[in-house]
Amino acid sequence: MSDTPSHAPVKSIMPSWVRGPQDFIGGVAMIAIALFALWASSDLQGMRGFSFGAGTAPRMFAFLLLGLGIAVMVVGLVTEGAHLAKYHWRGPLFVSLAILSFALMIRPMGLVVTAFAAFLIAAMGTAETKWKETIIVGMCLTAFCSLLFPYALGLPLQMWPKFMIQ
Amino acid sequence: MGDLFSNLGLGFGVVFQLVQWTPAFLHGVSIPIPVNILLCLIGALVGTLVGVLPGIGTIATVAMLLPITFGLPPVGALIMLAGIYYGAQYGGSTTSILVNIPGEAGSVVTALDGFQMAKQGRAGPALAIAAIGSFFAGCVATVLIAVLGAPLTKLALAFGPAEYFSLMVLGLIFAVVLAKGSVLKAIAMIVFGLLLSMVGSDIETGASRMAFNIPELADGLGFATVAMGLFGFAEIIRNLDAGGESDRELVQQKVTGLMPTKKDLIDSAPAIVRGTVLGSILGILPGGGAVIASFAAYTMEKKLSKNPSRFGRGAIEGVAAPESANNAAAQTSFIPLLTLGIPPNAVMALMVGAMTIHGIVPGPQVMQKQPELVWGMIASMWVGNLMLLIINLPLVGIWVRLLRVPYRLMFPSIVIFCAIGIYSVNNAPVDVVLAGAFGLVGYWLIKHDFEPAPLLLGMVLGPLMEENLRRALLISRGDWSVFLTRPLSAVLMGIAAFLLVLAILPSLRKKRDEVFVESES
Amino acid sequence: MKLYGRLLAGGCLAIVAGLVAVAAPAQAQTYPTRSITMIVPFAAGGPTDVIARIVTGHMAQTLGQTIIIENVVGAGGTTATTRASRATNDGYTLITGHMGTHAASVPLYPNLAYHPEKSFEPVGLLAGTPILILARKDFAPKDLKEFIAYVKANETKVNAAHAGIGSVSNVSCELLNSVLGIKPVGVPFNGTGPAMNALVGGQVDYMCDQIVNAVPQVNGGAIKAYAIATPERNPSLPDLPTTTEAGLPAFQAQAWNAIFAPKGTPAPIVARLNEAVSKALDDENVKKRLLELGSVIPGPKDRTPEALAALVKSEIAKWTPVLKPAG
Repeated sequence: MSDTPSHAPVKSIMPSWVRGPQDFIGGVAMIAIALFALWASSDLQGMRGFSFGAGTAPRMFAFLLLGLGIAVMVVGLVTEGAHLAKYHWRGPLFVSLAILSFALMIRPMGLVVTAFAAFLIAAMGTAETKWKETIIVGMCLTAFCSLLFPYALGLPLQMWPKFMIQ
Repeated sequence: MGDLFSNLGLGFGVVFQLVQWTPAFLHGVSIPIPVNILLCLIGALVGTLVGVLPGIGTIATVAMLLPITFGLPPVGALIMLAGIYYGAQYGGSTTSILVNIPGEAGSVVTALDGFQMAKQGRAGPALAIAAIGSFFAGCVATVLIAVLGAPLTKLALAFGPAEYFSLMVLGLIFAVVLAKGSVLKAIAMIVFGLLLSMVGSDIETGASRMAFNIPELADGLGFATVAMGLFGFAEIIRNLDAGGESDRELVQQKVTGLMPTKKDLIDSAPAIVRGTVLGSILGILPGGGAVIASFAAYTMEKKLSKNPSRFGRGAIEGVAAPESANNAAAQTSFIPLLTLGIPPNAVMALMVGAMTIHGIVPGPQVMQKQPELVWGMIASMWVGNLMLLIINLPLVGIWVRLLRVPYRLMFPSIVIFCAIGIYSVNNAPVDVVLAGAFGLVGYWLIKHDFEPAPLLLGMVLGPLMEENLRRALLISRGDWSVFLTRPLSAVLMGIAAFLLVLAILPSLRKKRDEVFVESES
Repeated sequence: MKLYGRLLAGGCLAIVAGLVAVAAPAQAQTYPTRSITMIVPFAAGGPTDVIARIVTGHMAQTLGQTIIIENVVGAGGTTATTRASRATNDGYTLITGHMGTHAASVPLYPNLAYHPEKSFEPVGLLAGTPILILARKDFAPKDLKEFIAYVKANETKVNAAHAGIGSVSNVSCELLNSVLGIKPVGVPFNGTGPAMNALVGGQVDYMCDQIVNAVPQVNGGAIKAYAIATPERNPSLPDLPTTTEAGLPAFQAQAWNAIFAPKGTPAPIVARLNEAVSKALDDENVKKRLLELGSVIPGPKDRTPEALAALVKSEIAKWTPVLKPAG
């Protein structure tokens, strides 16, 4: 899964004393997650005598992650490492949009409309998309899903938009 | 031994039972129908389908199909449900290998080398070896249940909270070993996974933890949600990056033979045997045993291999071992259910439900009171595994052909399948949004060379680890030495410590060489 | 102006009231015209689910419409109950609640989004499931008297297992402990299966659980039972004394399952549903299957919506003092 990422390293925006920006930023992010978890679990009860409280384990793991994050960051500082990989916006944006619209539409609009719409939005994620072909495949896929999930698997999915049923 | 044969005879008798069907239009002519065989086949087919579809889990399917089985005779109903369960284990490897989406915790490891094999045009052999390994494991485990079911039950009972905690520690060490890159980052990912698993309600007090009053988070993050995000969506987003195109073309052009070569078979044979043994033993342990089995089998192969660096880059043993292990574990996890009447996992709990609905109360005496049910089920497992092999081998060709679908059409379809799958688990749109968010997290992780597999294992094992740690300490009244004074637990801790040293030593030694490895690939 | 407004308002009210009066019986006569959704707040195959399926199976015949069971799990059943409390009150969404969701949840979850009495119309009681006091098979005490003396003397040493906060085993064990005046260490498990496994394996000392789960283990000699917390003995375990016989009359506990409709569901619909429940409970086949599970079938006077309302009230009153300090 994790092939060495980055094809062409971006011009480094990192100061020169950061020798492994990829690890450095990775470590910083882990530290941030750990701090966030510490904050989020701060309202939970700690140890009660010999028995763990609700917050004991989360805080334990958060401190552990904090330590590991610092270690990864330090490794990024002192050893020569990979540069930051290049990010692209098109794929992430449209795939996220497709997922988001699926989530928003599935309840009010039903499976048929939602699946087709989300398919088209996701397809915008790449410049290679040929629209005629995409629309045909999208329709076939929608039809396939509408038969497979509710009928073959018996999932309680609503098929059509709410306003059409009532 | 004679008992065994008469029992198995009884079992096969049940499986091959013919029911005379006398439809009116045939005017009194009756047709014998092997009802149980047909139910087994339906179960295996549905299971394969469920396993192949990302997101739709075994638990959800068995729960959904439970009502359908009410109209069937009890033996037939259970044979069908069992078929779905192990059918899903077969099917689960398919998406792991083809599109890097593990449908179940057990197939996370399969994705590591399976997907790499697919990228090298060897999806066929990977799928085939998964089916062959699963079949072998299924056969061995079935015999094991028949011969040693009762004595092995003692193992399940000997495992108290302290032993489970030590087993979970061992499981997490496996996750470190299976990582290909930096050990430090792998451990960070495990801890991140553990932290994510803390979201939800606390087992002892019921307090809501880090759920921010979102009702959908009250019971924690679902495995399907996180797995689909980190593996499925993240992989898609990464593939859409410019430059990924050449990578994908490669997959489509390079498809070489569908079946494993002689060398593949020779390479994987010992891995299959070892995976089967490990899986059979770990599967008996209720709760988590089956999940750890696949990780343990992978780790063992990697450690035993003369050339461990091949792992994670398309080693066929890396597919054969975990697939055999998780199928063996799926079979032996029936042991506590059949001998004690205690369900070791959620799917088995549903089986208990199915039995109670049919008026069979599972318990220690179920083997004596309902021998035709127990032995019928055991025999059906063997028959089911054979059917699955027959179903799955020809399917390999179809799956591989699917890879030729242009990616511009393939990825929106995967997005839709994943979204429907995740939504169907709880009928919760929030789950779909969360999976999308984890997709972006996964994309970021890939860009920073963090591996998602250890994270997922941490997330699956986290609650088990915490709960058992707390139980053990409650029972010992806060005395941490229980983990070393209880012999079984001490042995597990010892193995864990040994493996950790093995994992860390080479990475310390090889620090200097690493630079070369990086520039090579 | 004021008078005019009042007249108008009064007129409107009268029209609305008239409409309701006309519509309600019409609704009840035709109800149900489509399939009914029954929310079960626990996993398929669990004790509540099994009881709900057995009874609704027969109700569907009486009502002439299918009843679709929807299992919604989470947060001790309160997720599903919250959803049911917000459903349209037209009689097409119902819930099979139990002791936990419609009584013990009140003290256990301070931020509960519904109230068992205020958010629901009681429809009818389905069945009661007796609670047993169970122990690992090599636990020293031989009978309930010895058990009481032993746990009182070894309060700090004994471990009581339960199937998670809010579960029947947790709630009923809290009651037992408060009756005995002890506070042993409670070891939480994730569901009845793992808790039973630990008891059979001898990892913990005792627990309270529903008869359904315990009968095969007790009969198989894997664990032992001290008493059943109901006024009468149960045919599934005829030799097991009641708590009253064994000397602990204060410990009476029974898990119960009942059907509820969202608040404001028209009374005629509730009556029609109640009638269907009662008819199902009188059916020989339903009766037989419920008895096989060790359930206690309510008598005619316990089957009315009023009786269920009273039960919910008394159960909330019973559990609140027991669970408040613990939660």
